[in-house]
Amino acid sequence: MSIALALLLLAVQTPAAPAAPPAKVAASIARVFGAGARADTLRVDTVSVLRVSRADSLLGFAAIGNVLGKDQPITFLVAIDPADRLKDVDILVYREPYGGEVAYEPWRRQFRGKTADDSLRVGKEIRSISGATISVHAVTLGVRRMLAQLTAWHQSGAIR
Amino acid sequence: MRTLLGLGFLVLIAPCPLQNLAAQERTTVGGYGEVHYTNPTGPKTPAVVNLARFVVYLAHSFDDRLAFRSELEVEDAKVEGGKPGGEVGLEQAYLDYRLADWITLRTGLVLAPVGIINETHEPPTFNGVERPGFDHDVIPTTWREIGVGAVGTIPGGSGLAYRVYLVNGLRADGLSAAEGIREGRQEGRQASFANPSFTGRLEWARPGVKIGGSFWYGGTADTNAAVGTGTFGAPVALVSADARYDSGPFALRAVVANISVSDAQAINAAYGRAVGGRIAGGYVEGGYNLLHLVAPGSSQKLNAFLRHERYDTQASVPAGVTRDRTLARRITTFGLTYKPTWNTAFKGDYQLLRNAAGAGEFEVLSLGMGYQF
Repeated sequence: MSIALALLLLAVQTPAAPAAPPAKVAASIARVFGAGARADTLRVDTVSVLRVSRADSLLGFAAIGNVLGKDQPITFLVAIDPADRLKDVDILVYREPYGGEVAYEPWRRQFRGKTADDSLRVGKEIRSISGATISVHAVTLGVRRMLAQLTAWHQSGAIR
Repeated sequence: MRTLLGLGFLVLIAPCPLQNLAAQERTTVGGYGEVHYTNPTGPKTPAVVNLARFVVYLAHSFDDRLAFRSELEVEDAKVEGGKPGGEVGLEQAYLDYRLADWITLRTGLVLAPVGIINETHEPPTFNGVERPGFDHDVIPTTWREIGVGAVGTIPGGSGLAYRVYLVNGLRADGLSAAEGIREGRQEGRQASFANPSFTGRLEWARPGVKIGGSFWYGGTADTNAAVGTGTFGAPVALVSADARYDSGPFALRAVVANISVSDAQAINAAYGRAVGGRIAGGYVEGGYNLLHLVAPGSSQKLNAFLRHERYDTQASVPAGVTRDRTLARRITTFGLTYKPTWNTAFKGDYQLLRNAAGAGEFEVLSLGMGYQF
Protein backbone atom coordinates (compact mmCIF):
# COMPACT_ATOMS: atom_id res chain seq x y z
CA MET A 1 0.00 0.00 0.00
CA SER A 2 2.72 2.46 0.99
CA ILE A 3 4.72 1.61 -2.15
CA ALA A 4 1.66 2.19 -4.29
CA LEU A 5 1.12 5.50 -2.54
CA ALA A 6 4.74 6.50 -3.06
CA LEU A 7 4.51 5.68 -6.76
CA LEU A 8 1.30 7.63 -6.93
CA LEU A 9 2.90 10.65 -5.28
CA LEU A 10 5.86 10.34 -7.63
CA ALA A 11 3.48 10.29 -10.56
CA VAL A 12 1.72 13.36 -9.21
CA GLN A 13 4.91 15.27 -8.63
CA THR A 14 6.85 14.49 -11.78
CA PRO A 15 4.57 14.86 -14.75
CA ALA A 16 6.12 15.66 -18.08
CA ALA A 17 5.90 19.36 -18.78
CA PRO A 18 2.93 19.82 -21.05
CA ALA A 19 3.30 22.20 -23.92
CA ALA A 20 1.38 24.65 -26.05
CA PRO A 21 1.28 24.43 -29.84
CA PRO A 22 3.94 26.79 -31.31
CA ALA A 23 1.29 28.55 -33.40
CA LYS A 24 -0.61 29.39 -30.22
CA VAL A 25 2.54 30.83 -28.61
CA ALA A 26 3.28 32.91 -31.72
CA ALA A 27 -0.29 34.23 -31.76
CA SER A 28 -0.06 35.08 -28.07
CA ILE A 29 3.22 37.01 -28.56
CA ALA A 30 1.68 38.93 -31.47
CA ARG A 31 -1.40 39.74 -29.42
CA VAL A 32 0.54 40.89 -26.35
CA PHE A 33 3.35 42.82 -28.10
CA GLY A 34 1.60 43.85 -31.31
CA ALA A 35 2.02 42.83 -34.93
CA GLY A 36 5.58 42.70 -36.24
CA ALA A 37 7.06 41.69 -32.89
CA ARG A 38 9.98 39.33 -33.37
CA ALA A 39 10.93 36.71 -30.79
CA ASP A 40 14.20 34.86 -30.27
CA THR A 41 14.86 32.26 -27.63
CA LEU A 42 17.32 32.79 -24.76
CA ARG A 43 18.45 29.93 -22.54
CA VAL A 44 18.80 30.52 -18.80
CA ASP A 45 19.89 27.36 -17.04
CA THR A 46 17.54 24.84 -18.61
CA VAL A 47 14.80 27.36 -19.15
CA SER A 48 13.81 29.13 -22.34
CA VAL A 49 12.87 32.78 -22.29
CA LEU A 50 11.53 34.62 -25.30
CA ARG A 51 13.11 38.00 -26.05
CA VAL A 52 10.67 40.10 -28.01
CA SER A 53 11.77 43.04 -30.13
CA ARG A 54 10.65 45.14 -33.08
CA ALA A 55 13.32 46.57 -35.40
CA ASP A 56 16.13 47.42 -32.95
CA SER A 57 14.06 48.16 -29.88
CA LEU A 58 13.47 45.67 -27.06
CA LEU A 59 9.76 45.20 -26.31
CA GLY A 60 10.14 42.79 -23.42
CA PHE A 61 10.43 39.15 -22.41
CA ALA A 62 8.03 36.24 -22.13
CA ALA A 63 8.14 32.76 -20.67
CA ILE A 64 5.80 29.81 -20.49
CA GLY A 65 5.00 27.78 -17.41
CA ASN A 66 2.64 25.16 -16.09
CA VAL A 67 0.69 24.93 -12.87
CA LEU A 68 -1.51 22.09 -11.78
CA GLY A 69 -5.19 22.90 -11.49
CA LYS A 70 -7.44 20.30 -9.87
CA ASP A 71 -5.96 17.50 -11.97
CA GLN A 72 -4.68 19.01 -15.21
CA PRO A 73 -1.71 21.27 -15.95
CA ILE A 74 -2.62 24.78 -17.04
CA THR A 75 -0.13 26.15 -19.60
CA PHE A 76 0.26 29.91 -19.34
CA LEU A 77 2.46 32.69 -20.68
CA VAL A 78 3.75 35.70 -18.76
CA ALA A 79 5.10 38.73 -20.65
CA ILE A 80 6.99 41.67 -19.13
CA ASP A 81 8.13 44.97 -20.61
CA PRO A 82 11.75 46.29 -20.43
CA ALA A 83 10.89 48.04 -17.11
CA ASP A 84 9.89 44.66 -15.59
CA ARG A 85 6.21 45.53 -15.48
CA LEU A 86 3.87 42.69 -16.29
CA LYS A 87 2.54 43.29 -19.80
CA ASP A 88 0.03 40.49 -19.95
CA VAL A 89 -0.82 36.95 -18.93
CA ASP A 90 -2.16 34.47 -21.43
CA ILE A 91 -3.69 31.04 -20.89
CA LEU A 92 -2.25 28.96 -23.74
CA VAL A 93 -3.85 25.61 -22.97
CA TYR A 94 -6.59 24.99 -20.42
CA ARG A 95 -7.48 21.34 -19.90
CA GLU A 96 -9.68 21.24 -16.78
CA PRO A 97 -13.44 20.65 -16.98
CA TYR A 98 -14.27 23.55 -14.62
CA GLY A 99 -12.53 26.87 -14.10
CA GLY A 100 -11.84 27.94 -17.69
CA GLU A 101 -12.86 31.47 -16.66
CA VAL A 102 -9.17 32.17 -15.91
CA ALA A 103 -8.70 32.51 -19.67
CA TYR A 104 -11.22 35.36 -19.86
CA GLU A 105 -9.66 38.71 -20.60
CA PRO A 106 -11.45 40.58 -17.75
CA TRP A 107 -9.74 38.25 -15.28
CA ARG A 108 -6.27 38.24 -16.89
CA ARG A 109 -6.42 42.03 -17.23
CA GLN A 110 -5.99 42.36 -13.46
CA PHE A 111 -2.31 41.39 -13.74
CA ARG A 112 -1.31 44.14 -16.18
CA GLY A 113 1.20 46.67 -14.89
CA LYS A 114 2.03 44.63 -11.79
CA THR A 115 5.65 44.18 -10.74
CA ALA A 116 7.55 41.64 -8.65
CA ASP A 117 7.04 44.04 -5.71
CA ASP A 118 3.27 43.57 -5.84
CA SER A 119 2.05 40.72 -3.66
CA LEU A 120 -0.52 39.43 -6.20
CA ARG A 121 -2.84 37.61 -3.83
CA VAL A 122 -6.25 36.20 -4.61
CA GLY A 123 -8.95 38.21 -2.88
CA LYS A 124 -6.70 41.27 -2.68
CA GLU A 125 -5.07 42.49 -5.91
CA ILE A 126 -6.61 39.62 -7.87
CA ARG A 127 -10.35 39.01 -7.66
CA SER A 128 -11.45 35.40 -7.74
CA ILE A 129 -14.20 33.80 -9.80
CA SER A 130 -16.75 31.52 -8.14
CA GLY A 131 -16.47 27.97 -9.39
CA ALA A 132 -12.93 28.60 -10.69
CA THR A 133 -11.23 28.95 -7.30
CA ILE A 134 -8.61 26.24 -7.78
CA SER A 135 -7.57 27.53 -11.21
CA VAL A 136 -7.54 31.13 -9.98
CA HIS A 137 -5.18 30.27 -7.11
CA ALA A 138 -2.98 28.06 -9.28
CA VAL A 139 -2.55 30.56 -12.10
CA THR A 140 -2.03 33.48 -9.70
CA LEU A 141 0.74 31.58 -7.90
CA GLY A 142 2.32 30.58 -11.22
CA VAL A 143 2.25 34.14 -12.53
CA ARG A 144 3.69 35.53 -9.28
CA ARG A 145 6.64 33.11 -9.42
CA MET A 146 7.20 33.61 -13.12
CA LEU A 147 7.14 37.39 -12.78
CA ALA A 148 9.67 37.20 -9.91
CA GLN A 149 11.92 34.87 -11.91
CA LEU A 150 11.86 36.96 -15.10
CA THR A 151 12.47 40.13 -13.10
CA ALA A 152 15.41 38.59 -11.22
CA TRP A 153 17.00 37.32 -14.43
CA HIS A 154 16.52 40.63 -16.17
CA GLN A 155 17.97 42.64 -13.29
CA SER A 156 20.95 40.28 -12.94
CA GLY A 157 21.64 40.46 -16.67
CA ALA A 158 20.91 36.77 -17.26
CA ILE A 159 18.48 37.91 -19.91
CA ARG A 160 19.05 41.16 -21.73
CA MET B 1 -0.88 23.86 -4.18
CA ARG B 2 1.15 21.57 -6.36
CA THR B 3 2.91 23.42 -9.12
CA LEU B 4 4.86 22.14 -12.03
CA LEU B 5 6.76 25.37 -12.36
CA GLY B 6 9.85 24.08 -10.60
CA LEU B 7 10.23 21.50 -13.29
CA GLY B 8 11.21 24.19 -15.69
CA PHE B 9 9.57 26.38 -18.24
CA LEU B 10 9.00 24.99 -21.64
CA VAL B 11 10.99 25.22 -24.72
CA LEU B 12 8.84 27.16 -27.10
CA ILE B 13 8.79 27.99 -30.74
CA ALA B 14 12.04 26.06 -31.09
CA PRO B 15 11.12 22.52 -32.14
CA CYS B 16 10.96 19.96 -29.35
CA PRO B 17 9.31 16.56 -28.81
CA LEU B 18 6.11 18.04 -27.43
CA GLN B 19 3.87 15.18 -28.51
CA ASN B 20 5.93 12.64 -26.58
CA LEU B 21 5.79 14.73 -23.44
CA ALA B 22 2.09 15.39 -23.70
CA ALA B 23 1.23 11.70 -24.00
CA GLN B 24 2.37 10.94 -20.42
CA GLU B 25 -0.34 9.41 -18.24
CA ARG B 26 -0.97 10.87 -14.82
CA THR B 27 -3.09 10.06 -11.76
CA THR B 28 -4.29 12.74 -9.34
CA VAL B 29 -5.68 12.31 -5.85
CA GLY B 30 -7.66 14.95 -3.98
CA GLY B 31 -10.50 15.11 -1.57
CA TYR B 32 -12.79 17.00 0.73
CA GLY B 33 -14.60 16.38 3.96
CA GLU B 34 -16.45 17.90 6.88
CA VAL B 35 -17.12 17.21 10.55
CA HIS B 36 -20.24 18.65 12.20
CA TYR B 37 -21.39 19.37 15.74
CA THR B 38 -25.12 20.09 15.83
CA ASN B 39 -27.13 20.97 18.90
CA PRO B 40 -30.87 21.52 18.34
CA THR B 41 -32.99 23.24 20.99
CA GLY B 42 -35.23 21.15 23.23
CA PRO B 43 -34.69 18.85 26.21
CA LYS B 44 -34.67 15.53 24.34
CA THR B 45 -32.37 16.56 21.54
CA PRO B 46 -28.78 16.04 22.63
CA ALA B 47 -25.94 17.44 20.61
CA VAL B 48 -24.57 15.20 17.87
CA VAL B 49 -21.10 15.07 16.39
CA ASN B 50 -20.76 13.49 13.00
CA LEU B 51 -18.11 12.96 10.35
CA ALA B 52 -20.65 14.03 7.80
CA ARG B 53 -18.57 13.53 4.67
CA PHE B 54 -15.25 12.04 3.66
CA VAL B 55 -14.73 12.19 -0.07
CA VAL B 56 -11.81 10.96 -2.15
CA TYR B 57 -11.28 12.54 -5.54
CA LEU B 58 -9.46 10.32 -8.01
CA ALA B 59 -8.65 11.37 -11.56
CA HIS B 60 -6.55 9.93 -14.32
CA SER B 61 -5.37 11.47 -17.57
CA PHE B 62 -4.95 8.87 -20.28
CA ASP B 63 -3.58 11.40 -22.75
CA ASP B 64 -3.92 15.09 -23.55
CA ARG B 65 -7.62 14.76 -24.36
CA LEU B 66 -9.05 11.83 -22.44
CA ALA B 67 -9.46 11.95 -18.67
CA PHE B 68 -11.40 10.07 -15.99
CA ARG B 69 -12.68 11.87 -12.90
CA SER B 70 -14.46 10.51 -9.83
CA GLU B 71 -15.55 11.24 -6.28
CA LEU B 72 -16.16 8.42 -3.82
CA GLU B 73 -18.01 9.45 -0.68
CA VAL B 74 -18.42 7.97 2.77
CA GLU B 75 -21.22 9.67 4.72
CA ASP B 76 -21.46 9.49 8.52
CA ALA B 77 -18.06 7.75 8.83
CA LYS B 78 -19.32 4.18 8.86
CA VAL B 79 -21.82 1.90 7.19
CA GLU B 80 -23.14 -0.97 9.24
CA GLY B 81 -26.11 -3.26 8.61
CA GLY B 82 -29.17 -2.55 10.71
CA LYS B 83 -27.89 0.83 11.92
CA PRO B 84 -29.35 4.12 10.70
CA GLY B 85 -27.24 6.61 8.77
CA GLY B 86 -24.09 5.85 6.87
CA GLU B 87 -23.76 5.66 3.14
CA VAL B 88 -21.05 4.89 0.64
CA GLY B 89 -21.66 6.27 -2.81
CA LEU B 90 -20.09 7.57 -5.95
CA GLU B 91 -20.82 11.25 -6.37
CA GLN B 92 -19.27 11.47 -9.81
CA ALA B 93 -17.51 9.05 -12.16
CA TYR B 94 -17.14 10.07 -15.78
CA LEU B 95 -14.87 10.20 -18.79
CA ASP B 96 -14.10 13.51 -20.47
CA TYR B 97 -12.93 13.77 -24.06
CA ARG B 98 -11.67 17.29 -24.79
CA LEU B 99 -12.18 18.18 -28.44
CA ALA B 100 -11.53 21.92 -28.12
CA ASP B 101 -11.91 24.70 -25.54
CA TRP B 102 -15.53 25.08 -26.55
CA ILE B 103 -16.48 21.44 -26.34
CA THR B 104 -15.61 18.50 -24.10
CA LEU B 105 -17.70 15.36 -24.46
CA ARG B 106 -18.62 13.71 -21.17
CA THR B 107 -20.21 10.39 -20.23
CA GLY B 108 -20.75 8.57 -16.97
CA LEU B 109 -22.23 9.53 -13.61
CA VAL B 110 -22.44 13.33 -13.77
CA LEU B 111 -23.66 16.10 -11.46
CA ALA B 112 -26.86 17.83 -12.53
CA PRO B 113 -25.65 21.35 -13.39
CA VAL B 114 -28.36 23.00 -11.31
CA GLY B 115 -27.92 25.89 -8.85
CA ILE B 116 -24.73 26.70 -6.96
CA ILE B 117 -24.10 23.98 -4.37
CA ASN B 118 -24.82 20.88 -6.45
CA GLU B 119 -21.73 21.28 -8.60
CA THR B 120 -19.57 23.26 -6.16
CA HIS B 121 -20.19 21.50 -2.87
CA GLU B 122 -16.78 21.42 -1.17
CA PRO B 123 -17.24 22.68 2.42
CA PRO B 124 -14.87 25.70 2.20
CA THR B 125 -16.90 27.08 -0.72
CA PHE B 126 -20.07 27.80 1.28
CA ASN B 127 -20.99 29.42 4.58
CA GLY B 128 -22.77 27.47 7.29
CA VAL B 129 -22.00 24.04 8.69
CA GLU B 130 -24.87 22.32 6.89
CA ARG B 131 -25.61 22.95 3.25
CA PRO B 132 -28.66 25.23 2.87
CA GLY B 133 -31.99 23.45 3.39
CA PHE B 134 -33.01 24.70 -0.05
CA ASP B 135 -30.14 22.63 -1.49
CA HIS B 136 -31.63 19.55 0.16
CA ASP B 137 -35.39 19.91 -0.22
CA VAL B 138 -35.72 21.86 -3.49
CA ILE B 139 -32.50 21.21 -5.43
CA PRO B 140 -31.70 17.68 -4.21
CA THR B 141 -27.94 18.04 -3.67
CA THR B 142 -25.82 16.04 -4.42
CA TRP B 143 -27.89 15.28 -7.51
CA ARG B 144 -26.11 12.98 -9.94
CA GLU B 145 -27.37 10.68 -12.68
CA ILE B 146 -25.90 8.69 -15.55
CA GLY B 147 -25.81 10.11 -19.05
CA VAL B 148 -23.94 11.76 -21.88
CA GLY B 149 -23.36 15.40 -22.67
CA ALA B 150 -21.06 18.23 -23.51
CA VAL B 151 -19.42 21.03 -21.55
CA GLY B 152 -17.35 23.99 -22.65
CA THR B 153 -16.77 27.70 -22.81
CA ILE B 154 -18.15 29.80 -25.61
CA PRO B 155 -15.14 31.27 -27.45
CA GLY B 156 -14.42 34.90 -28.14
CA GLY B 157 -14.05 36.08 -24.54
CA SER B 158 -17.81 36.15 -24.07
CA GLY B 159 -17.46 34.90 -20.50
CA LEU B 160 -20.12 32.27 -21.20
CA ALA B 161 -19.86 28.60 -20.31
CA TYR B 162 -22.38 25.80 -20.79
CA ARG B 163 -23.13 22.23 -19.78
CA VAL B 164 -25.82 20.02 -21.35
CA TYR B 165 -26.59 16.39 -20.61
CA LEU B 166 -29.04 13.65 -21.52
CA VAL B 167 -29.41 11.54 -18.36
CA ASN B 168 -31.73 9.00 -16.77
CA GLY B 169 -34.90 10.48 -15.30
CA LEU B 170 -36.33 10.78 -11.82
CA ARG B 171 -38.72 8.13 -10.49
CA ALA B 172 -42.18 9.28 -9.41
CA ASP B 173 -42.33 6.67 -6.63
CA GLY B 174 -39.67 8.60 -4.71
CA LEU B 175 -41.37 12.01 -4.80
CA SER B 176 -42.67 13.29 -1.45
CA ALA B 177 -44.46 16.21 0.17
CA ALA B 178 -41.59 17.27 2.43
CA GLU B 179 -38.57 16.66 0.21
CA GLY B 180 -40.04 17.21 -3.24
CA ILE B 181 -38.10 15.39 -5.94
CA ARG B 182 -35.22 14.38 -3.65
CA GLU B 183 -35.86 10.66 -3.29
CA GLY B 184 -36.81 10.46 -6.95
CA ARG B 185 -33.12 10.57 -7.80
CA GLN B 186 -31.60 7.31 -8.97
CA GLU B 187 -27.93 8.20 -8.44
CA GLY B 188 -26.48 5.65 -10.83
CA ARG B 189 -27.78 2.62 -8.93
CA GLN B 190 -29.47 0.25 -11.43
CA ALA B 191 -31.31 3.32 -12.67
CA SER B 192 -34.37 2.97 -14.88
CA PHE B 193 -33.86 4.66 -18.24
CA ALA B 194 -37.58 4.53 -19.09
CA ASN B 195 -37.73 8.34 -18.89
CA PRO B 196 -34.62 10.08 -20.15
CA SER B 197 -34.23 13.68 -18.99
CA PHE B 198 -32.45 16.74 -20.29
CA THR B 199 -30.54 19.07 -18.03
CA GLY B 200 -28.24 21.97 -18.67
CA ARG B 201 -26.80 25.25 -17.56
CA LEU B 202 -25.53 28.47 -19.05
CA GLU B 203 -23.38 30.76 -16.95
CA TRP B 204 -21.63 34.09 -17.35
CA ALA B 205 -18.53 35.11 -15.42
CA ARG B 206 -16.46 38.19 -14.67
CA PRO B 207 -13.93 38.62 -11.86
CA GLY B 208 -16.04 38.48 -8.71
CA VAL B 209 -19.28 37.81 -10.60
CA LYS B 210 -21.03 34.67 -11.75
CA ILE B 211 -24.60 34.46 -13.01
CA GLY B 212 -26.18 31.20 -14.09
CA GLY B 213 -29.40 29.65 -15.30
CA SER B 214 -30.21 25.94 -15.16
CA PHE B 215 -32.99 23.58 -16.25
CA TRP B 216 -34.10 19.98 -15.91
CA TYR B 217 -36.88 18.37 -17.92
CA GLY B 218 -37.95 14.75 -18.00
CA GLY B 219 -40.63 12.16 -17.27
CA THR B 220 -40.89 10.26 -13.99
CA ALA B 221 -43.55 7.59 -14.67
CA ASP B 222 -41.07 4.75 -15.18
CA THR B 223 -43.29 1.78 -16.15
CA ASN B 224 -46.34 2.76 -14.11
CA ALA B 225 -49.08 3.54 -16.66
CA ALA B 226 -51.31 4.81 -13.85
CA VAL B 227 -48.88 7.68 -13.36
CA GLY B 228 -48.19 8.42 -17.00
CA THR B 229 -47.18 6.96 -20.32
CA GLY B 230 -44.65 7.86 -22.97
CA THR B 231 -41.10 9.09 -22.76
CA PHE B 232 -42.08 12.21 -20.86
CA GLY B 233 -44.89 10.69 -18.78
CA ALA B 234 -45.53 12.64 -15.54
CA PRO B 235 -42.88 15.26 -16.33
CA VAL B 236 -40.85 17.27 -13.86
CA ALA B 237 -39.74 20.66 -15.16
CA LEU B 238 -37.19 22.67 -13.18
CA VAL B 239 -35.86 26.14 -13.89
CA SER B 240 -33.35 27.87 -11.64
CA ALA B 241 -31.30 31.05 -11.60
CA ASP B 242 -28.37 31.97 -9.41
CA ALA B 243 -25.90 34.77 -8.86
CA ARG B 244 -22.67 35.18 -6.89
CA TYR B 245 -20.88 38.46 -6.28
CA ASP B 246 -17.59 39.04 -4.45
CA SER B 247 -16.11 42.48 -4.01
CA GLY B 248 -13.33 43.06 -1.52
CA PRO B 249 -14.73 42.09 1.87
CA PHE B 250 -18.33 41.67 0.61
CA ALA B 251 -19.84 38.47 -0.74
CA LEU B 252 -23.40 37.96 -1.90
CA ARG B 253 -25.15 34.96 -3.36
CA ALA B 254 -28.72 34.16 -4.29
CA VAL B 255 -30.57 31.24 -5.86
CA VAL B 256 -34.17 30.73 -6.91
CA ALA B 257 -35.81 27.64 -8.36
CA ASN B 258 -39.23 26.56 -9.55
CA ILE B 259 -40.16 22.93 -10.09
CA SER B 260 -43.46 21.94 -11.61
CA VAL B 261 -44.80 18.43 -11.17
CA SER B 262 -47.74 18.66 -13.55
CA ASP B 263 -49.11 15.17 -12.86
CA ALA B 264 -48.75 15.36 -9.09
CA GLN B 265 -52.36 14.23 -8.70
CA ALA B 266 -51.70 10.95 -10.53
CA ILE B 267 -48.47 10.41 -8.58
CA ASN B 268 -50.25 10.98 -5.28
CA ALA B 269 -53.05 8.59 -6.26
CA ALA B 270 -50.59 5.87 -7.30
CA TYR B 271 -48.27 6.07 -4.31
CA GLY B 272 -50.41 7.61 -1.55
CA ARG B 273 -48.34 10.80 -1.29
CA ALA B 274 -49.05 14.50 -1.04
CA VAL B 275 -46.55 15.77 -3.58
CA GLY B 276 -46.92 19.43 -4.43
CA GLY B 277 -47.76 20.43 -7.98
CA ARG B 278 -45.23 23.20 -7.64
CA ILE B 279 -42.07 23.27 -5.50
CA ALA B 280 -40.47 26.69 -5.30
CA GLY B 281 -38.24 28.99 -3.33
CA GLY B 282 -34.78 30.37 -2.92
CA TYR B 283 -32.36 32.13 -0.65
CA VAL B 284 -30.19 35.19 -0.38
CA GLU B 285 -26.98 35.33 1.59
CA GLY B 286 -24.68 38.19 2.41
CA GLY B 287 -21.27 38.00 3.99
CA TYR B 288 -18.56 40.36 5.17
CA ASN B 289 -14.92 39.51 5.88
CA LEU B 290 -14.30 40.95 9.36
CA LEU B 291 -10.52 40.56 9.01
CA HIS B 292 -10.68 43.26 6.36
CA LEU B 293 -11.31 45.73 9.21
CA VAL B 294 -8.51 44.68 11.56
CA ALA B 295 -5.92 43.13 9.22
CA PRO B 296 -6.62 44.34 5.69
CA GLY B 297 -3.39 42.81 4.41
CA SER B 298 -4.24 39.30 5.54
CA SER B 299 -5.23 36.63 3.05
CA GLN B 300 -7.10 34.78 5.79
CA LYS B 301 -10.82 35.35 6.11
CA LEU B 302 -13.31 35.61 8.92
CA ASN B 303 -16.65 35.87 7.19
CA ALA B 304 -19.72 36.92 9.12
CA PHE B 305 -22.77 35.86 7.14
CA LEU B 306 -26.55 35.98 7.17
CA ARG B 307 -28.71 33.78 4.98
CA HIS B 308 -32.47 33.74 4.62
CA GLU B 309 -34.21 30.87 2.87
CA ARG B 310 -37.87 30.72 1.90
CA TYR B 311 -39.13 27.66 0.11
CA ASP B 312 -42.24 25.54 -0.05
CA THR B 313 -42.38 21.97 -1.32
CA GLN B 314 -46.15 22.45 -1.59
CA ALA B 315 -46.15 25.89 -3.21
CA SER B 316 -49.26 24.62 -4.94
CA VAL B 317 -51.05 21.33 -4.46
CA PRO B 318 -53.25 19.24 -6.78
CA ALA B 319 -56.88 18.43 -5.98
CA GLY B 320 -57.22 16.11 -3.03
CA VAL B 321 -54.25 17.44 -1.08
CA THR B 322 -54.55 19.86 1.82
CA ARG B 323 -51.56 22.15 1.96
CA ASP B 324 -49.30 21.48 4.90
CA ARG B 325 -48.12 24.94 5.88
CA THR B 326 -45.21 23.58 7.92
CA LEU B 327 -43.65 22.76 4.54
CA ALA B 328 -43.49 26.48 3.73
CA ARG B 329 -40.10 26.91 5.36
CA ARG B 330 -38.41 30.13 6.43
CA ILE B 331 -34.89 29.41 7.60
CA THR B 332 -32.56 32.10 8.85
CA THR B 333 -28.92 31.22 9.42
CA PHE B 334 -26.21 33.49 10.76
CA GLY B 335 -22.68 32.76 11.83
CA LEU B 336 -18.98 32.90 11.15
CA THR B 337 -16.66 31.12 8.75
CA TYR B 338 -12.94 31.32 9.52
CA LYS B 339 -10.72 30.38 6.58
CA PRO B 340 -6.98 30.26 7.40
CA THR B 341 -6.48 29.22 3.77
CA TRP B 342 -8.88 29.35 0.87
CA ASN B 343 -9.40 25.58 1.05
CA THR B 344 -9.93 25.05 4.78
CA ALA B 345 -12.77 26.37 6.93
CA PHE B 346 -13.87 26.41 10.55
CA LYS B 347 -17.54 27.24 10.90
CA GLY B 348 -20.05 28.20 13.52
CA ASP B 349 -23.66 29.19 12.97
CA TYR B 350 -27.10 29.47 14.51
CA GLN B 351 -30.22 28.53 12.60
CA LEU B 352 -33.81 29.58 13.17
CA LEU B 353 -36.02 26.98 11.49
CA ARG B 354 -39.46 28.51 11.07
CA ASN B 355 -42.47 27.76 8.88
CA ALA B 356 -45.69 29.38 7.77
CA ALA B 357 -47.77 27.25 10.20
CA GLY B 358 -45.64 28.23 13.19
CA ALA B 359 -45.65 24.58 14.31
CA GLY B 360 -42.69 22.36 15.15
CA GLU B 361 -40.23 25.21 14.94
CA PHE B 362 -36.79 24.89 16.49
CA GLU B 363 -33.29 26.30 16.50
CA VAL B 364 -29.91 24.72 15.95
CA LEU B 365 -26.39 25.65 17.03
CA SER B 366 -23.77 24.13 14.74
CA LEU B 367 -19.99 24.00 14.67
CA GLY B 368 -17.91 22.40 11.98
CA MET B 369 -14.71 22.11 10.04
CA GLY B 370 -14.18 21.41 6.38
CA TYR B 371 -11.35 21.05 3.90
CA GLN B 372 -10.63 20.39 0.26
CA PHE B 373 -7.43 19.73 -1.64
